[in-house]
Amino acid sequence: MPFSLVYYLSHFARIEWVKNFFAAKTAPLETPPYFRGFPELTGELCQHSLFCMMACPAPGAIDVVHSGKKWEPRIHKGHCIRCGLCVEACPHGVLRSGRILDTIHREHTTLSFSFRIDIDPDKCMGCGNCAVACPVNKVIDAQMSHGGKASTDQLLLRVNAGKSEVLHMEKCTGCKTCENHCPNEAIRVSRLLEAVQNPEAP
Amino acid sequence: MSLLQSIKNYVRSRSIHVSYVDVGSCNGCDIEVLACLSPRYDIEQYGIYVHNNPREADILLVIGAYTPGWEEKLATLWEKIPEPKAAIAIGNCPISGCLFNRPHTYIDPPVAKHIPIAAEVPGCPPRPTEILAAVLAVAPIVFRDFEVKR
Ligand code: SF4
Ligand code: SF4
Ligand code: SF4
Ligand code: SF4
Repeated sequence: MPFSLVYYLSHFARIEWVKNFFAAKTAPLETPPYFRGFPELTGELCQHSLFCMMACPAPGAIDVVHSGKKWEPRIHKGHCIRCGLCVEACPHGVLRSGRILDTIHREHTTLSFSFRIDIDPDKCMGCGNCAVACPVNKVIDAQMSHGGKASTDQLLLRVNAGKSEVLHMEKCTGCKTCENHCPNEAIRVSRLLEAVQNPEAP
Repeated sequence: MSLLQSIKNYVRSRSIHVSYVDVGSCNGCDIEVLACLSPRYDIEQYGIYVHNNPREADILLVIGAYTPGWEEKLATLWEKIPEPKAAIAIGNCPISGCLFNRPHTYIDPPVAKHIPIAAEVPGCPPRPTEILAAVLAVAPIVFRDFEVKR
């Protein structure tokens, strides 16, 4: 009995035990490289296709901004949910996150998408915020004045006779900027995304 | 620095009591906070203990996008925590409202409008390692030499 008690207590007198007792036991865990983090820039040139903004499900998570000379996507932490859809949607591989780019190259996955813009004529008051805010319009006519009056019929959206109208639905990139800028919630963009996989492709 | 203060510093660095409150979330972040208790992350080896009682807490983890039911309640709860104290926003919800921040929802983010937030851990949900790192980073700043700084 006394022997076993001494034996028991001597276990706690060992220096390793004392060290272990006072210090953290597991080494700090590293984040494995295949975990999807916040998307990062790969260094490829952003072509301003806006597919990332189109695919992003989180409000305010991604913007494509013009920084000096070139376009560049910006991820906003606190909004981004790290879903990786922007990485998958970008046709130029500008963003990367975890293993997503590797999978895309190996499995030849892509996203196919289509859009539909609906303008409710009863709610639209022809302010032109949508047409001015639309980044596609901005590229076609950078001088577009507020009010959304069109100088050319190549525009995606314009205000005609006090109502906003869609001229070229196929140019829409689905970024939803118009929807966010409409004061009346008159314009609605619906996006239909489908994942496509073709492992046989070259 | 007095001996008493150094003892306090040492004890506080090894004994951080964390309480969490969910002000309207999808439960994802709550699960990640609880995952911190699992053997893989083992938050208690750093001397961090998770409670459900704000009166015993040093750090409050705020989860969720602040639904109307939490008007008044969250500030009251914050006042119940004894000084020194800090609040950490866990996940996107208390920072921006995350996916719930759409037109015609009743949520009222950011939570920093309602109580002072010392740190934010973005992510939907953030990983347990990120939560752990935030608690370990905030604790010394808030608790070290608290009496001297005051
Ligand atoms: S990872 Fe998802 S949420 Fe984050 S910016 Fe990309 S698409 Fe948006
Ligand atoms: S979603 Fe709206 S703003 Fe974006 S490209 Fe289409 S029409 Fe323009
Ligand atoms: S759809 Fe909205 S933003 Fe566009 S012109 Fe009409 S009211 Fe203005
Ligand atoms: S940040 Fe994401 S996981 Fe956390 S509560 Fe909000 S929606 Fe859920």
